[in-house]
Amino acid sequence: MSQVEAPRPIERVAIPGGGNTYGARTALMLFTPIQPKWTLLVRVSLWLGKWIPFVQQHILQFRFIHFVRWAVVRELPYNGPPQEPDRLNYSYLLFETNFDGAWRNYIDSFAYCISRDIRYLWGRGFAFPGPPPAEPLKAWIAENSMEGGTYYCAYPEASTRDVLAAVAVRDRLGALVNESEGLSPEAFQDAYRRFLVDVQAHL
Amino acid sequence: MFDHNRAGTAYAFTAFTAILPGHEEAVRERIESLPRGPESPLARLDTLHYSRLQIFDELVYQGPPQKKRDRLKSSYLVFTASLDGDLDPFLDAIADRLPAEADGWWGHCVAYPGAANREAFKRWLKHNQVPNALFSSMYSTESVQAVRSALALRERVLEFATAAQGLEPAELQRRFHTELAGLV
Repeated sequence: MSQVEAPRPIERVAIPGGGNTYGARTALMLFTPIQPKWTLLVRVSLWLGKWIPFVQQHILQFRFIHFVRWAVVRELPYNGPPQEPDRLNYSYLLFETNFDGAWRNYIDSFAYCISRDIRYLWGRGFAFPGPPPAEPLKAWIAENSMEGGTYYCAYPEASTRDVLAAVAVRDRLGALVNESEGLSPEAFQDAYRRFLVDVQAHL
Repeated sequence: MFDHNRAGTAYAFTAFTAILPGHEEAVRERIESLPRGPESPLARLDTLHYSRLQIFDELVYQGPPQKKRDRLKSSYLVFTASLDGDLDPFLDAIADRLPAEADGWWGHCVAYPGAANREAFKRWLKHNQVPNALFSSMYSTESVQAVRSALALRERVLEFATAAQGLEPAELQRRFHTELAGLV
């Protein structure tokens, strides 16, 4: 069995009080080169992803992702002197995600549950440590993650599970309000009990 | 429909603005000393779900088989925002509600026109926008206000369900219509 190189210190990503965490929310941004022979494939795959429901469902199968984005960056915006144009040799894959919990758990889920997808996209770069196992991937992410700055979320107390549960309760409550018009007290009680059964997992 | 920055009613804005030579530490100090949470100036943007401001100053060499090393000539201030609605009102809101703070961090960037020059400010940010290829969210049709309201409503429902245990049907119905029905 080949020995896996010891991962680099992953604390680099979660700087104390830093720009990529707030409460239990975490942001991760990567900016990594794509091999020229795969750039078109990556572009087309991401572009098609918007139109293929399966891709969306696949991305969001982990119910701890709030928002996620990808971009393929060939050149960086230029504003004239004194900025010198940055002429890049490669296209770069920009990835940003906002999720619940510690990033180590996030990467574990990715590494073991959708390793083929990970390899399909980031494997188009250079020297990508295709998972599993997860540790080399974590080291790679620690090396490529953009750090620092400031981070804001509008409802930091709420996980995606909380948000989805709250939306489900709101929608079901709306249905109860509509169906309860003109009901007798006894019929309303039955409807209310059905409501509670439906939403109990969301409360 | 064809906007890849959009998912549902949510919009992903990404901007890379080049920092003036020698201003990198000033920007870093500025953004890293911003208050967090409800005190953050970004909290004044009521359509903003998530946002990050950070400095991008290095392209990581991946090792073989990468043959060429890319090195940045400028450092960039990267602004990402996941917002609901359209981009223009969001940029207007930045200019309206946090002009001093926006000038404080983007004022260290090349060709920044200032938030007071509204149209130039918006043009400048759009010029520095990096288009997204794919954007997705678990709740892409819910606005910030809708999420907050739903979270608060869930708490109310839980309180009601606890308090209403054992009520007679007529009283249950009366209290439901008084306390909950008007909230949706």
